[in-house]
Amino acid sequence: MEKATKKYFPIFVLPTMIAFAIGFLIPFVYGIFLSFCKFTTVVDWKWVGLSNYSKIFYVNGELDTTFLHSLWYTALFTLVSVLVINVISFAIAMLLTKGIKGTNLFRTAFFLPNLIGGIVLSYIWLMIFNSVLSNYSKTIVSTQWYAFWGMIIVVCWQQIGYMMIIYIAGIQNIPGELIEAAKIDGANAWQLLTKITIPLLMPTITICTFLTLTNGFKLFDQNFALTGGNPAKQSQLLALNIYDTMYGTTGWQGVGQAKAVIFFILVAIIALVQNKMTTSKEVEQ
Amino acid sequence: MNKKLVSVTLSAAMISALLAGCGSTATGDTATAASSAPAAAATSEAAAEATSEAAATSEAATGTGKVYLLNFKPETDGAWQTLAQTYTEQTGTEVTVLTAADGQYSTVMQSEMAKTDAPTIFNIGNATAAQTWDDYTYDLKDSDIYNHLTDKSLAIENNGKVAAVANCYECYGIIYNKTILDDYCTMDKAVVTSADQITDLDTLEAVADDINSRIDEINEKFDLELTEAFASAGLDDGSSWRFSGHLANMPLYYEFLDDGVDPVSGEATIKGTYLDNFKRVWDMYVRDSAADPKTLNSGALNAESELGMEQAVFYQNGDWEFSALTNPDNGYLVTADDLDMMPIYFGVDDANEGLCVGTENHWAVNAKAPQEDIDATLAFLNWVITSDEGREAITTEMGLSAPFDTFTGDYASTNNFAASASKLMADGKTSVAWAFNATPNVDDWRADVVSALTAYTDGSGDFDAVKTAFVDGWDKQWKLAAEAAE
Repeated sequence: MEKATKKYFPIFVLPTMIAFAIGFLIPFVYGIFLSFCKFTTVVDWKWVGLSNYSKIFYVNGELDTTFLHSLWYTALFTLVSVLVINVISFAIAMLLTKGIKGTNLFRTAFFLPNLIGGIVLSYIWLMIFNSVLSNYSKTIVSTQWYAFWGMIIVVCWQQIGYMMIIYIAGIQNIPGELIEAAKIDGANAWQLLTKITIPLLMPTITICTFLTLTNGFKLFDQNFALTGGNPAKQSQLLALNIYDTMYGTTGWQGVGQAKAVIFFILVAIIALVQNKMTTSKEVEQ
Repeated sequence: MNKKLVSVTLSAAMISALLAGCGSTATGDTATAASSAPAAAATSEAAAEATSEAAATSEAATGTGKVYLLNFKPETDGAWQTLAQTYTEQTGTEVTVLTAADGQYSTVMQSEMAKTDAPTIFNIGNATAAQTWDDYTYDLKDSDIYNHLTDKSLAIENNGKVAAVANCYECYGIIYNKTILDDYCTMDKAVVTSADQITDLDTLEAVADDINSRIDEINEKFDLELTEAFASAGLDDGSSWRFSGHLANMPLYYEFLDDGVDPVSGEATIKGTYLDNFKRVWDMYVRDSAADPKTLNSGALNAESELGMEQAVFYQNGDWEFSALTNPDNGYLVTADDLDMMPIYFGVDDANEGLCVGTENHWAVNAKAPQEDIDATLAFLNWVITSDEGREAITTEMGLSAPFDTFTGDYASTNNFAASASKLMADGKTSVAWAFNATPNVDDWRADVVSALTAYTDGSGDFDAVKTAFVDGWDKQWKLAAEAAE
């Protein structure tokens, strides 16, 4: 049987491979190629070498910090959102596995925001923020920091429920005997958490940090709908910055593409490093 | 053996499923195309009987060419679909109309133009866009639509050819509620005794200031619920273009006139000579409005409804607002009789200034399309502006004012504001050209101006920053756009 599987492996994989190639591999390679071209439509290109890449940083012979700004702004955004989302969703998951009354209701309620699309969610939050902030003569785009915390709140509200579900599943998988044994050995709550729960939860933590990390880096909808990059592109995260370059600046499609390539490399490196780091902490039960 | 059979069957099933998948996708595509051009099916039979008619309407309806219009105005989609169907029934030429969602035109166009069956008619907004799409624009110098164009300045010329021809024109200025303003004029110590006396910025400023300071008195006397003279000057993305585009047009226009350059083509560097006037008008908008200057960018303001609900007297916007303001579904209190438009008096040449007349809607024909498609396209466009069906659709159903000499009598515009524009022109006023169409990298430039203007208005910045964004930003973006066009 195993032999047969091996033999017919290519035939079974073929449909998926073709779909994967058409939907992902070919556009991806073509996209990298286009980042070295000046193009108006994707079939109408002219090779320009590295000039797209240099235009990311040097515009009219001067250093242009728009991309760098959105780079560190995105990094900071991701860092904060990963920490906040994971800490809070872990805490909620701990609470909701203690068997308090109405656990299921709470779980559903926390998960619900995840079912709403990012754009709709952001427009609703935009109204909430602005009606609250108008009491202080401010708006969500008064400064880049209002925009920053606004986005953090929206993203947290949306993702905490989702991560919570993953954490709950992880926590429920921890064998009761281990915890009981630790208790008999006299471990207090803190020791239980740091010595038993968290180490055993490492695979879950790996998944959750990976998801929140990549979500943070490629956040677009919420940024687009909530702040639109205002004020003065100061609250542009990377994805929006790329979109803006692609469609906002005449003849800069290639530069947008070059930014997208850099963006991909960055996200790939960070995700790989993170995966390696957290996986190495995983323990055998 | 048996296993082998099973696996072969399985893989065959999978592959056929895959192929079926491809097949159904293709069918799906055809279905979409057909639904966007429902008339295509009727082609064969209609073609024969319509030949005589077609010959009368246009010279090039050979039936081999195809027309594909990528429509810019979402609100006109329905009318275009019907028009396409009618044309197909009459001539047998296949006409496809695709409409991009609001604000998505460039995205859709970019992907559509890359296809084999690319649009044959697409929209060019301004001179910069004509530069970007230079390779794709067909020279319309000898076309019927160019010959019928009444004001040749409404065509875009680029690289020695007529790249695009305007298909409608719009005007903007200061929309005002005539009834309330007339009421105000009857009051004691009113600045003017008739709305006609507002003919310059000084008077407009005095009237607006006076109305805004006597709101309660006016409300009491005429039983109104006025809250302000000027409708809110929102600086969110949905409204800021009224100022970074339309109001900014004024200083640009006068500066281009001074420099003797074509106002819709512009020039590489500007000095911002008239920015103090810009500041004066902007300050008036903010000062004489009830909106909090610190939260103009919140996106919560709705200037249209402020004018519509008779809360404001003045509102800077264009004739496209006419249908929204008079549409009974919107529940506004104003009626067509209340509405009129005056020029944005700017303190430069107020005596001769008319409304701002221009357009961002130009038809361009795809030069990379096969010749028979180009011929069919030109014939179709000619039919649209000369036939009864076409003119009816444009004037009545789409509610546009068309700049062609074929639109006379019954087909003249029914829009009050467009009528004001014509009246002012007839009175010998000079229409202000849409100089903002020359803006290089328009989104980027405007974003910078808006953010400086926001900072100035909420008190966190000064007007010098607005000047810098306006003048230096122009210079910078112009260089970039020129470099990109090389």
